[in-house]
Amino acid sequence: MQERLDYRKAHSVEEALTLFQDLPRSRYMAGGTDLLPRARGSGQAPSRLVDIKGIPELSRIEELPSGDLRIGAAVSVAAVAAHPTVRQRFSALSLCASALGSYPLRNRATVVGNICNASPCADTAAALLCLDATVLCVGPAGPRRIPIHEFFVGPGQTSLASGELALAVEIPAASAGGRAELGRLSRRQGVDIATVAVLLSVLPQRSPRHRVALLSVAPTPRRASEAETLLDQRGPSAANAAAEAAMAAARPIDDVRGTAAYRREMVGVLLTRAVRALGAA
Amino acid sequence: MSQGRWVGRDVLRVDGLEKVTGAARYLADVKLPRMLYAQVVRSPHPHARVREVDVSRALSVAGVRAVATGRDFPFHVGIYLKDQTVFATDRVRFVGDPVAAVAAESPEAAREAAALVRVEYEPLPALFDVRQGILPDAPLVHPDLGKYQVVPWITPQAGTNICNHLKVRKGDYHAALKTAAHVVENTFVVPQVQHVPMEVHGSAARMDLSGKLEVLTSAQSPFTVRHLLCACFGLSHGDVRVMVPQVGGGFGGKAGINLEPIVTALAMRVPGRWVRLVLTRAEEFYAAVVRQGLVATLTTGVDRSGKVVAQRMHYLWDCGAYGGYGVNVVRAAGYTCGGAYEFPNVWGDSIGVYTNRPVGSAYRGFGMQEIHWALEQQMDMVAHEIGEDPIAFRLKNCLGPGKRTVTGQLLDEHSGRVDQCIQRVAQAFSEPLATRPGRLRGRGLACAVKAPAMPNDAASSVLLKFCEDGVLEVLVSGIDYGQGLRTVAAQFAAEALNLPIEQVRVRNLPDTDLSPYDWQTVASRQTWATGNAILRAAEKCKAQLFETASQVLGAPVERLALRDGQVVDTGGAGRVPITRLVMGYQFPDGHVIGGPVAAAAHHVPEGLLFLDPQTSQSAKPVAKWTFGAQGVEISVDPDTGHIQVDRVVACYDVGQVVNQGLILGQTYGGVVQGLGTGLMEELKLDLLTGKAQNANLVDYKIPTALDVPAALEASFVETPQKDGPMGARGIGEHTMIPTPAALANALYAACGIRIQEMPLTAEKVRAALREKRAKG
Ligand SMILES: Cc1cc2nc3c(=O)[nH]c(=O)nc-3n(C[C@H](O)[C@H](O)[C@H](O)COP(=O)(O)OP(=O)(O)OC[C@H]3O[C@@H](n4cnc5c(N)ncnc54)[C@H](O)[C@@H]3O)c2cc1C
Repeated sequence: MQERLDYRKAHSVEEALTLFQDLPRSRYMAGGTDLLPRARGSGQAPSRLVDIKGIPELSRIEELPSGDLRIGAAVSVAAVAAHPTVRQRFSALSLCASALGSYPLRNRATVVGNICNASPCADTAAALLCLDATVLCVGPAGPRRIPIHEFFVGPGQTSLASGELALAVEIPAASAGGRAELGRLSRRQGVDIATVAVLLSVLPQRSPRHRVALLSVAPTPRRASEAETLLDQRGPSAANAAAEAAMAAARPIDDVRGTAAYRREMVGVLLTRAVRALGAA
Repeated sequence: MSQGRWVGRDVLRVDGLEKVTGAARYLADVKLPRMLYAQVVRSPHPHARVREVDVSRALSVAGVRAVATGRDFPFHVGIYLKDQTVFATDRVRFVGDPVAAVAAESPEAAREAAALVRVEYEPLPALFDVRQGILPDAPLVHPDLGKYQVVPWITPQAGTNICNHLKVRKGDYHAALKTAAHVVENTFVVPQVQHVPMEVHGSAARMDLSGKLEVLTSAQSPFTVRHLLCACFGLSHGDVRVMVPQVGGGFGGKAGINLEPIVTALAMRVPGRWVRLVLTRAEEFYAAVVRQGLVATLTTGVDRSGKVVAQRMHYLWDCGAYGGYGVNVVRAAGYTCGGAYEFPNVWGDSIGVYTNRPVGSAYRGFGMQEIHWALEQQMDMVAHEIGEDPIAFRLKNCLGPGKRTVTGQLLDEHSGRVDQCIQRVAQAFSEPLATRPGRLRGRGLACAVKAPAMPNDAASSVLLKFCEDGVLEVLVSGIDYGQGLRTVAAQFAAEALNLPIEQVRVRNLPDTDLSPYDWQTVASRQTWATGNAILRAAEKCKAQLFETASQVLGAPVERLALRDGQVVDTGGAGRVPITRLVMGYQFPDGHVIGGPVAAAAHHVPEGLLFLDPQTSQSAKPVAKWTFGAQGVEISVDPDTGHIQVDRVVACYDVGQVVNQGLILGQTYGGVVQGLGTGLMEELKLDLLTGKAQNANLVDYKIPTALDVPAALEASFVETPQKDGPMGARGIGEHTMIPTPAALANALYAACGIRIQEMPLTAEKVRAALREKRAKG
């Protein structure tokens, strides 16, 4: 007989870590919206799912005394999108979170699950990259903090070690304020991952002030730093040059959703539009 | 709009409550006693010879009760052309072709055992393109084509990949083309798409120890399933019982016979046990059935007055690996090859070609959306070529009373009016289209026509019977998979017997042991066929009631009428409630007259004639035509190529609206399904491996509520159908036929680009715009 999937619900971080270590091929599960569809199709289905949604300390969005914002690993995408602080201070995140999937899906999916899944199209990754977020995690070797810029390694791959649990993402207070514009193309109006997306966010307190993140055009979500520099130097008049730079930064592939050539071209179109929109605002 | 007490009104679905409360049970909800789970072993190759199938390791898995292979069941199956076996015998013809199946105590054991069935394949060159398939040196998908059983009106060509070829020859095409002032020729392509019903295919079977077979299946055609199972396994109709629970959508994909032979084969190996197979969504995409692909080449010759004088249509259908049902799509597309137009001189060829792609079958529209994608773009292109308005050009050439179809059939004043549908849509578009900054806007129109594609003897029968309390039970054997047949059946019965609708109960979970015969729920034929049968049966019930009542009231039958559950003497001699009549009337002295009131009736299309085998000419090849037109308004983002559909206007000549809510549901649903195939759907194969690249709902998209246009308008012309129930004709499929072509025409109007290959993805639009700009 094929072995059955062992589902466990953890009530504390310690318990989660222990449950994970107990069995080979364990996986942490938050909303399960990536994990479950994939487990069904793939040859290497997990043997155990460690559900972290019941861990109270991971279920909160907290504003720390420093002004940083901490989003627990069990917090739903919908809760993040609607959170007043997120909407007022970190609008890039609320914008990207609202674009993910569909309403029912956002009620179940988590932001941390979205980045741990490390898809090149992970919507919230665009915002977290622009906001210089940090991933808090803990594993058998103890806790550590991973800057979001070092978090994505490849499609489906993060810098988390085996058994390491992401506890939260933190967004620094210095990334607050400013404005953001998301250009996102998909094959239909809802419940569709981005064929290509560009997030432009302008953060008054940071350098570079302009932040450009690209989705679905490289092995991981990524920033287009040359475009950012151009925009910092010359403002909206650099729109075309920035678009060229962002297109050059893209490393798209052909797949069923779109060709590499189209994706690259759209990076330019979307960034130009975003610059125009923010410039006019 | 003519309205009866019930027919023509907005009657709520009679099965709505069951469905919204979850009381309705579908196949996967049913846990049968001691049920075994089935898993199919499928070919990973698009084309290969099967050298050996070794099931020994599979049989050793704990919990496995049976493994069936092509060696055990080398029986042929197919509705019109028996070109498929239950399991592959000597070769596999597409990725997903069943090679064997396992029945086990748990789904896990079944999966594990299926993975252990060892099949030795010898790969053969695969064929993925119909244009190559008709070449003389193409690999043959069915070398035994000449040996298969086939109905007389399907014409497979032995020694080729052609599984059916219908020729339409009318007038003198070649001579007429020489007289044409302009000749326009274009090629159009439609890819294979999948039906994506909410409920995937599923079937279960049990053979009891006495040899009687029961089949429970999510299907559109229980009686046809029984008939074909009997033919396949050599069983008697008396020993096979097919039952259909609630069905969660079919769209043609559950027409004919599908998984039933597989579960039957397994059931025969484990007598006494139920064996159930429910496909995964992935299997649904590549291993159930798909809509056939099409490559259409049209040549149109017009004279100086803008009349088409010569029209050639060359349709190459991608039937995939097996043509069992799809061969009839080829035929229907042949005798409808000219669409909604009168072409005096016609050269038409509709050719079904085997490939090593997934199996083509029926899909809402039965070939019509595909040929209209070509025809309706062509009409616009010809109009532009001769500098005429596309709408005026259509009105000048369209069919109508006194005109003749491509098969020479003369239409009359009862045949429906496409001209009026076109004019309605044109009227809705009389205001100039408002501009929108940064967007290119345009409007397009396309017409539609379709006849039911069915054998000349396709029948529906019904049984009406009263309960003691005067409730009328209506037994119909069509499938209500959402289109609303049960409600419409209740309306016709209530109308004919002038009963409150609550007093009518439609019994409709067909069971071939107990239910009246019905050929299939396809071809937009149920409202029409079952409706007619109900009206006839109701008349018989009425006659029985009146005969008894006439004796009770002492009034002649001609003076009697039915009113709200009473038989009334219009001459004033009194009334008697039907509750006192439906089981027979008892007089005060105790003697009884009459008896339980019940009647059966049927509908069979009248006077259908075969097509001439050489020319397809026929005075009455089909029972009826339904015509319509749709117009769309779109906004195109020129930088991204994205098409936003702002408004769709649809108009159909349905003869008689039977249910206002349901007909809007059919129209809106059809339009949205049409937008899906027009804008985003395509089952993509990897041409190296033959595997579907998007056999899941992440990569294969269909529209959601968010893609529904802001404005969706429907209206109906009602030219009564002579043989329709109260004048009604079919509409279910027609609503998705013209949508993609209307979109393509709107795209041309908006930005001067033509895309002849469905779907109209943003990427194609963007590329065409760039090409256009490059040309200057
Ligand atoms: C219909 C549908 C539509 C979708 N649309 C979109 C879309 O538009 N955009 C988009 O970006 N995504 C989309 N997704 C993907 C998915 O919903 C998101 O990525 C979601 O945010 C994942 O979150 P989750 O909580 O469900 O993650 P899970 O599925 O629970 O986990 C995802 C992965 O991360 C790991 N993981 C989860 N939590 C932790 C943790 N705390 N520590 C370490 N590892 C962890 C899991 O082991 C797994 O590998 C869609 C999915 C579906 C089914």
